[in-house]
Amino acid sequence: MIHVENLTYAYPTGTGPALRGISLDVPEGQFLALVGSNGAGKSTLCYALSGFVPHFYNGDYTGRVVAAGHDVGNTKLGDLAGEVGLVFSNPFNQITGACYTVREEVAFGLENLGVPREEMILRVEDAIEMAGLGGLGDRSPYALSGGQQQRLAIASVMVMNPRVLILDEPTSQLDPVGSREVFELLDSLSRNGGATVVLVEQKLEWIAVHADRVIALHEGQILADGDPRGVLASAEVERMGVGSTRYTQAARRFRRREPKEVDGILPVTLEQAAEYLGP
Amino acid sequence: MTSSLSLYAPRESGLHRLHPLTKLTSALLGVVAGIALPGVWPNYAVFLLLLVPLAAWARVLPDFGRVVIKIALPFALSLFVIQGLFWTGGTPVVEIGPLSFKAEGLYFAAKTTGRILVVMGSITLFVLTTRPDQLMIALNQRGIPKTFTYVLVSAIQLVPRFQAKANAILDAQRARGLETEGGFVQRIRALLPVSIPLVLGSIVDVEERSIALEARGFSHEGPKTSYQVLVDTPIQRVARPVMMLGAVALIVGAIFVW
Amino acid sequence: MDRLRKDFTTITWVMIPVAIAINMALGFLVFSLKIPILYLDTVGTVLVGLLCGPLAGALTGALSNFAWGLFGNPGYVPYFPVAAVIGLLAGLFGQWGWYKKWWLWIFGGGLITAVAGAILSAPINAYLQGGVTGSGTDVLVAAFRAGGASILQASFLQGLVTESVDKVANYAIVWAIVKALPVRFLARFPRYENVRSD
Repeated sequence: MIHVENLTYAYPTGTGPALRGISLDVPEGQFLALVGSNGAGKSTLCYALSGFVPHFYNGDYTGRVVAAGHDVGNTKLGDLAGEVGLVFSNPFNQITGACYTVREEVAFGLENLGVPREEMILRVEDAIEMAGLGGLGDRSPYALSGGQQQRLAIASVMVMNPRVLILDEPTSQLDPVGSREVFELLDSLSRNGGATVVLVEQKLEWIAVHADRVIALHEGQILADGDPRGVLASAEVERMGVGSTRYTQAARRFRRREPKEVDGILPVTLEQAAEYLGP
Repeated sequence: MTSSLSLYAPRESGLHRLHPLTKLTSALLGVVAGIALPGVWPNYAVFLLLLVPLAAWARVLPDFGRVVIKIALPFALSLFVIQGLFWTGGTPVVEIGPLSFKAEGLYFAAKTTGRILVVMGSITLFVLTTRPDQLMIALNQRGIPKTFTYVLVSAIQLVPRFQAKANAILDAQRARGLETEGGFVQRIRALLPVSIPLVLGSIVDVEERSIALEARGFSHEGPKTSYQVLVDTPIQRVARPVMMLGAVALIVGAIFVW
Repeated sequence: MDRLRKDFTTITWVMIPVAIAINMALGFLVFSLKIPILYLDTVGTVLVGLLCGPLAGALTGALSNFAWGLFGNPGYVPYFPVAAVIGLLAGLFGQWGWYKKWWLWIFGGGLITAVAGAILSAPINAYLQGGVTGSGTDVLVAAFRAGGASILQASFLQGLVTESVDKVANYAIVWAIVKALPVRFLARFPRYENVRSD
C-alpha cells in the first residue's frame, strides 16, 4: 500500500535534507507508528506520504513514493485527497470554517469529491458515529472541545474512505481528556482494520500495545524498523532521543539492581513487563 | 458600528423560507428602486408600505428598525443640517442667526434620506432573513465556484472570533495598565499590542488551514455535490426574472423618463 | 492572464477570508478605541494585493464590503468598487516592486490609493448619501460646502483629507506586518517575489 524508494528531500528554506534516502514498504492494513526525536523528519515523512511534499512545500525532491496506488510525486493534491488522508495536531486549524454544523463539516470532503447526496447522508452518519460524535451533529464545529474537534477532523477525513490514513501527533495539542478520546478512536481504527495507518506519536506506551510495527527516525534516516518491542526496547533508539516506555525504564532499573540473569529484550508493555519481571 | 455577530436572525417565517436567490433579487430590486425612484414620496412609500410590512412578516421588525435607524439617523441629521444650511444659492426658509436653512437643501435632505431608507433597508432585510451558507449554495448551483463562496462563509465565521480575540487582548492589556483613553498618539500606541499578535497569529495559521482544506479535496477537479438542499418553488422561479425586469424598467425610467 | 489564474492557490483562498476578518477586526478596534480620522479597515485588502496579486486584492476588497453588510453595516456595501480598486492598486504597486523601497510603498502607495479612493467614493457618496458621512468628518463637508463647493466637490475634498492619513497608515502597517513575518512563511504566497529581499 505504501512504497517509498530512496526518498531524499530538503525544504526550500531549510538547512540540509530533512529526509535522506528513506526506503520502506508498508503492506495493506498495517498500523505503523513513527517515532523519533524532534527534527528527525517524522512530519516531513507524513507530508511526503500525503503529497504535501513536494506539491505544497516544493523544495529538492528525489526518489519515489507510491501510496494507495498513486505515484505521489506526480499526482496532484486534489487527486490524492480521499486516497491518502492527513490529520495533524492542531484541531482548530482543521475546521474548514465553511460549515455551520458538524454534519456539514464532515460532508465537506464528500461534496468536493462529487459524491451523490443520498450516499453522502449515510456516510456522514456512519463517520459521526464511528468518531463518537453522535448527538453533536447539529452543533457548530467551533462549539466543540479540543478532543471533539480532533475527532471531527479524523471523521471528516475518514469519511472520504482513504486507503491510507496519516496522523501527525494528533494528541499533542489536546488536554488529557481529549487525548484519551482520540486514543480510543485510534484504538478502534487499529482493530477494525481496513485502512493502512501511519501514526506519529509520543505516547510510546500506547504504540507498544497497538501498533503492528514501529519505525524510528533519526536525522532524516531510518534508525530502526520492526515490531514494537524490538524497536522501543532498543538502547540505541533510546539513546537517539526517542525515549522509552515506563515499562522498559522500570525493567532497566530492575536489571541494574538485580544481578539475576534476565535474558531477552526488555519489555515495552505491562504484560511483557509482568512476564519479564515475574517469578 | 453594530455588534460582531452576523446579522442573520433565524426565524420561522415565509420570508425566511424563500429561496436565497429570490431574496437576493428582491434586495437588488430594492436598491435599484431606492436609487431610481424620483422625488421624495415614492421612496418613503416603498419603505413604509413595503419594507416595514415585510420585516414584520419576517418577524424581524425590532432588529430591522434598530439597524435601519442606527444607520439612517446620523446621515439624516448631517443631511438636514449641512445640506440644509449650506445649499449654494438656495432660497432661505428658516433663519437661525446668521445662517439659514434653504428650501432646496431641505428638499434634498428629505429625498436623500428616503433613498437611504430604501437602499439600506433592502440590504438589511436581506441580511436578516438569509443564511449566508445557503446563499453560497444557491450561488454554487448557478455556477459560481465553491472556492469563491467558501471565502465569504469562512470570513463570516472568522470575524466574530477575531473580534472576540481582539476584545480579550484589549481587556488583558487594559488590566496591565494599557492606556486606551487620552490623546491621539496614546490611543494609537494602544492599538499595537492588540493588533500585532492578532494579525500575525492569524496569518501564520493560514498555512496549516490550507493543508487541512487540501486534505478535504478543496482543489479536487470535477463536479461537486451539495449536502444541503434548498427549497425553490415555481412561483419564485417566475418571480425572480420578473423582478429583474422591474429593476431594468426602473433604471430605464430613471434615465429617460424622469 | 494565466498569471492571474495562478495567483489563486489554496493559500490565497484561505488568506482572503483571514484578510477580510483582519479588515473588520482592525476597523472595529479603531472604532472601539475612538481613534479619530483613521479607519484602518483596508489593511487585509492591501496585504492580499501585495502577496497574492491584484485580482486577489480586488476580490478581498469587494468581499470585505459585503461582509460589513452582513454584520449590520450596510452603509459599506455600495462602496465595494472602491475597495476593489484599493486591492487592485496594492497588487499593482507590489508587482512594480514598490514594496522594496519603504518610502515609495508607504507614501507613494498610500497617497495614490487615497486619491483614487476619494475620486471613486465621491460620486457614490454624493448620489446615495447626499455627500455627507454621518460622522465627525462632516465638519469638513460643512466647511467645504460653506466655502461654495458643490456636493460632489465637498465629498471629494473630505475624502481626500481623511483618506490621505488613513491610507498612508494602512500601507505602513502592511509594511510592518510583512517585515515581521518569517521568510519561510512568506515564500508560500504566489507573489512572494514582491516582498523578497534580494
